[in-house]
Amino acid sequence: MLPLQGLFAYEPDARDVQLLSKIEQDSIQYFVRMSDKVTGLTRDSSQAGSPASIAATGFALAAVAIGQSRGWIPKEQAYAQIKKTLRTLLSKADQKKGFFYHFLDPRSGKRVWGSEVSSIDTTLLVAGALLAGQYYPGTEIEAMAKKVYARIDWQWMMNNSSLVCMGWKPESGFLPYYWNSYNEHLLLQALAIGSPTHPIPAEAWNAWTRNEDVYRDKDIVYSYTGCLFTYQYAQAYIDFRELDDRGINYFDNSVNASIANWEYSSENRDQYKSYGGNLWGLSASLGPAGYKAYGAKPGQGLHDGTIAPHSALSSINFTPERSIAAAHLFFNQYQDRLYDHFGFKDAFNLDKNWWAEEYLGIDQGITVLMLENYLNHGAVWNKFMQLLPVQFWIKRCNLLKVKSADLEIQPMSFMSSSDTSDSRAAPPSRQ
Amino acid sequence: MKERRKHFLINKPLQFRYMAYFTSALIIISAIALVSLYIGIWSSILESFSDARLRNDLLLASRLTEYEQARFPAASVAAPAESPSILSFFKQTEKLSRHQREIFKMILDESNQKLMFKLALLLFFIAWASIYISHKIAGPLYRFHVTLGDIEKGDLTTRIHLRKFDEALFLAEQFNRAIEKLDRTMSQLKNIMRENEANPQRAATRLKEELSKIKTSADS
Repeated sequence: MLPLQGLFAYEPDARDVQLLSKIEQDSIQYFVRMSDKVTGLTRDSSQAGSPASIAATGFALAAVAIGQSRGWIPKEQAYAQIKKTLRTLLSKADQKKGFFYHFLDPRSGKRVWGSEVSSIDTTLLVAGALLAGQYYPGTEIEAMAKKVYARIDWQWMMNNSSLVCMGWKPESGFLPYYWNSYNEHLLLQALAIGSPTHPIPAEAWNAWTRNEDVYRDKDIVYSYTGCLFTYQYAQAYIDFRELDDRGINYFDNSVNASIANWEYSSENRDQYKSYGGNLWGLSASLGPAGYKAYGAKPGQGLHDGTIAPHSALSSINFTPERSIAAAHLFFNQYQDRLYDHFGFKDAFNLDKNWWAEEYLGIDQGITVLMLENYLNHGAVWNKFMQLLPVQFWIKRCNLLKVKSADLEIQPMSFMSSSDTSDSRAAPPSRQ
Repeated sequence: MKERRKHFLINKPLQFRYMAYFTSALIIISAIALVSLYIGIWSSILESFSDARLRNDLLLASRLTEYEQARFPAASVAAPAESPSILSFFKQTEKLSRHQREIFKMILDESNQKLMFKLALLLFFIAWASIYISHKIAGPLYRFHVTLGDIEKGDLTTRIHLRKFDEALFLAEQFNRAIEKLDRTMSQLKNIMRENEANPQRAATRLKEELSKIKTSADS
C-alpha cells in the first residue's frame, strides 16, 4: 500500500479534528439507532415508517465496524449487530440471484413498496459487508460477507448486453436503464469484474462512456446529474489516486468536480443567499420541493438554493480546506437548526427558510467513510484495496498507474483466504 | 318394522353432561378463532390504516417516487424541480396502492401463521380432551369386558372397580350386587355338598330346595 502521509495539501488543526471527529462519531450513531434490533437492517431515513434500505444497511455494516475500531461502539455490540445483519442477508432478506431488493421491511426482510432488485444498492451493501469483513479477519463476519458477495450473479444483471442494468422487477423484468456513463457505478464495476464467482467481462469497463466537459478551465469526466455524491461513493471505498484509466485519474477528477461544485454555487450566489463563500454542497438531497438530484456543472446542474452539508463534507479528501471550512460554518452558524443526535441533518435552504428534519442513511454513511479516510490515514481505503477481487479488477482492467510486474491473482482463492497483510488490525486513531 | 326411539333423554344427567362437554369445547374453539381473527386482522388493519400511518405512507410514496426520478435520468426529465408532474402523481398513487396491497398481504400472511399455530394448539387440546372424555366410557367398558370374561371362565369372585368420575358407576354397583348374589348362591350349593358328603339323600333334598329359588331356562 502506498504511504498516505502528506497527501492532503491542507493540514487540519486540533479544532478541525475535534469537530470532524464529533461529526463522524455522531453520524455513526444513526446506524446504531436506526438499525432493526432483530434483523440489523437499517432504515432508509429517520422518518417514521421508513423502510430499510439495503444501501443504508451496507453503510451501517461499514460504519459500525469503523465505530468499534475507534472505540465508539463496544466490541461485542458491534460484532453482534454486523453478524445478525449478515445472517439476515444470507437467510431472510428477499433477493434474486444474490441481488437484493432496494427497500425491505426492516423486521421481516421482505420486499416492500414494489421496489426493484437494485444493482448499485446491492453493490453498496456488499462493499460495506466486505469492509466489515476486513475489520474482523478470520471471523464468521468475514466468511459471511464473502458468501453474500459470492452469491451475486453479476453476469445475469448484464441482461445479455455489454452494460450492467440498474435493476430488475419480478413484474416487468429488467429496467430500461443501464449504467452507461460515468457515475457512482465505478464501485459496481470493480466488484463485478473482480467477482470470484460470477465475474463480468473486463470489456464492460470500457463499454460505458466517459463524457467530458470543461468547466472553468477544468476538464471533468462528469455524471449526467452533476450531483456531488456521484464523484464520492466509489471513492469512499476505492483509492483511485494511483489508478489510471487511459489518462483519467478519478481521484483528480473528483477534486476538480468538487471544486466545480463549490464554484458553481459561488457563481450563483447573487441568485441564492444559501450559496457563496464556505456555503456549498450541491448533491442529491431533500429540498423544499422533495428529494431532488441537485448538482453542479458540468452536468444537468439542477439547483434551487438547497445545500446538502453531507456532500460538502464528503469531499473532504478532495477539497479538505473548503470542506472543513464548510463544516465549521454549518456547525457554528446553523447548529440549532441543522445539527442533532446523528450529526448534520440532510439539507437546508436559506432562501426558503427550509430545514430538513430528517437524516438519510446513505448520506450519513458517505460522511462516515469519507471522514474516516481523512482522519484515520485512509483506513477504509487501506482495508478495501487489500481485497483480492479489487486487485483482480485493477489487474484485469490494467488500471495501475505504475504498471507492476506480473501479479498473479486467483480470484477464487479469495473465498478461502483470510488474506493478506497484518495491517488489518484497527489502525491507530489520528487523535 | 323399524324401532324408533320415543325418548331421547333417557339419562338426563349423563346426556346433559356430555352436551356441556361438547358445547363448551365448541365455544372455546370458536372464541379463540374469533379473537385471533379480530386481533390478527382487524387490529392490524386499523393500525396500518390509521391517520398517522396513512400520512407517513403518502409521504413515503412521494419520497420513493422522487428517488426514482433522481436516479433514472429519463424519469427526472419528466419532473422539474418545482412542480411535481401529473406523471409523478400517478406514480405516487401506484406506489401507495401497491404498498397497501403489500400491507394486506403481510397482515393476512401473519394472521394465517398465527392461526395455524393456534389451530395446532387447539387440535392438540381437542385430541387430549377426546381421549379424556372417551376414557370415562371406554374405561368402564373395558372393566366390564374383563369381568365378564372372568365370569365366563367360572370366576364368581370377580368384581368391577371403577374410578370416581367414570360413567356407568351405578351400573357397575348393580352388576357387582348381582354377581355377589350369584356368588353367594353358588357358594351355598357348594357348602350343601360339602356338609352332606356322607348323606347323599339329604344333600339332594337341600340342593333341590335351593335350586328351586333360582329361575333358569331349564324351568320352562
